[in-house]
Amino acid sequence: MIEAIDLKKSFAKPGAGKKEQPVMAVSNVSFKAADGQVTGLLGPNGAGKSTTLRMLATLIKPDEGTASIDGFDVANDVLAVRQQLGFMPHNAGIYPRLTARENIHYYAKLCGLSRQDAKQRVNALLDQLDMHGFADRRSAGFSQGQRTKVALARALVHRPQTLMLDEPTNGLDVMATRGLRDIIRELAKQGHCVLFSSHIMQEVSALCDHIAIISDGRIAIADSLEGIKQRTNEDDLEDAFVRAIGETP
Amino acid sequence: MIKEIIDNLRDRQTVFYALLFGPVLLPLLLGGSIILSLKQLSIDFDKVQSLAVVNAEDAPNLMEFLYSNNIDIEAAPENPEKAVRDGDVPLVLKVMPGFNDAIRAAKPAPITLLINEGDKTSAKQSRRIRTLLQGYERTINALRLQHRGINPDIFNSLEITTEDTSLDGAGGQLLASLLPFLLIISMVMGGFYLAIDTTAGERERQSLEPLLGLPLKRQSLVLGKFGATMCFVGLSGILTALSVFVLFQFFPTDIIGGGLNFDAATITKAFLVASPLVAFISAVLITVSAFTRSSKEAQTYLGVLMAIPMAPFFILQFISIRSEIFTMPVPMLSQYQLLERIVLADETPALFVILSVLGTLFCAALLLALAIKLYSRDRILM
Repeated sequence: MIEAIDLKKSFAKPGAGKKEQPVMAVSNVSFKAADGQVTGLLGPNGAGKSTTLRMLATLIKPDEGTASIDGFDVANDVLAVRQQLGFMPHNAGIYPRLTARENIHYYAKLCGLSRQDAKQRVNALLDQLDMHGFADRRSAGFSQGQRTKVALARALVHRPQTLMLDEPTNGLDVMATRGLRDIIRELAKQGHCVLFSSHIMQEVSALCDHIAIISDGRIAIADSLEGIKQRTNEDDLEDAFVRAIGETP
Repeated sequence: MIKEIIDNLRDRQTVFYALLFGPVLLPLLLGGSIILSLKQLSIDFDKVQSLAVVNAEDAPNLMEFLYSNNIDIEAAPENPEKAVRDGDVPLVLKVMPGFNDAIRAAKPAPITLLINEGDKTSAKQSRRIRTLLQGYERTINALRLQHRGINPDIFNSLEITTEDTSLDGAGGQLLASLLPFLLIISMVMGGFYLAIDTTAGERERQSLEPLLGLPLKRQSLVLGKFGATMCFVGLSGILTALSVFVLFQFFPTDIIGGGLNFDAATITKAFLVASPLVAFISAVLITVSAFTRSSKEAQTYLGVLMAIPMAPFFILQFISIRSEIFTMPVPMLSQYQLLERIVLADETPALFVILSVLGTLFCAALLLALAIKLYSRDRILM
């Protein structure tokens, strides 16, 4: 369960002096993502999706506003939030000199799992994500799909209730995308709260129960797919999206 | 932390610098060249040396004198000047025509020594020969004076005695500072790539973001990286101490002077005194690479920083800073001074050691706190 209220975040321009106005990355973001559902954070490039997710993941502090993950405040209860949350950032960021198994195992150990427990958990994840074919190869030569699976397994290693995936289908081929979609649906069915960011309409409409459209650092509309279509008077999500962000389709 | 070690053991560059370059190659290069230059500088008067002489038969007494001083007389080559210039023979002694007549007439007897200053062997051997010739000259002088009823001592108005009070020879000081220099450089080199890889490199591979999202305190993360770096730095230090020990077994003691100590106990003691530097160097490496955005940037900064551990070595070569209470808490400098003392078998007051350990560890802790602070900023991800 994710709840964000009026999140704001601005950054100083890289290399700019102190006098220059900072860039407003997120100006007004409020939305909810419920357990047992897949929630899509849909927005064009540069809309503030990654910044929002990073604030929720306690990686950066919001300038204003609050957010909570399963009831824990992201500003004050940092460790509890991280315990609840599995975060898969935009880039897989796995260690190329370690094998897939070692990558996952390393995170399991970092999360404080005992040796025995970590071993079991890694094996369970290798099963769940069907990774045995490449589990013991060094990840330097992995395909994008394999890398995403390793990163996803790592995000799941400490059994988080809430899962946030930043553009997970980027660079995946059709079959890999479908496979990933099944995994995400399965996780939601198990009762997890899954927040999923993307700029691809089909992706979101195929997968999400609930959609928050983000544009220029603010949430333009947040509802179910049907609700969004109704409220924008458009049949097509793409048109609805364009109208929601304030343009005419 | 263990992951960092496995990860970096698989990185050839890190391993090369940690295990090979600092501990093995550097001592060999430096130590080897110093041994050679010391050997060239020192003259062994007991060693038999051959000398090419032109017209040896004109100066039988001189030849006899040289022979009794371990010089074998050989016939000179056809063109002695060219032979010396080309390095075929190191030097040639030319007994000039009229040598014998001049000796008999009590006049200066002409003799020429052909040498090649550009050639170290020639220069070294010429010094030996010149010393012998001067000895011969003194003998002749004394005989000539006595012959005329004058006490030869009348020309010795001063009796100069030089006594070298330093326990180590001239090369000793340099050799003594070699140990701290090698230890410190190889420690820095050993941790260098690992520190960059686990901080700036982590950011470059974009693996820092998921890592920071884990239910882990930032301190534990920084301490883990610090621990891994310490392992490599410590390992480099131990290996260097070992290889210096092995290397100095080959040092002829008469060359390095009796005051120098490179036995196992000394090296162990030196390593223990230097060991707080493991923490200090690791902390420096971690903190600096936390400032930087990419491995390349980190390498640049740390490359400049490499000059710092070398600085005391070069500065102490030119200016002698006395070890005092107030230099002891300074990391690097104090270890240089203490290690030199240990190797030279000077006394090392316990207070100095304690101050050095405390000062160094304190600085390491400060740097670590700074690194943790850096990791807690938003900017670490940017």
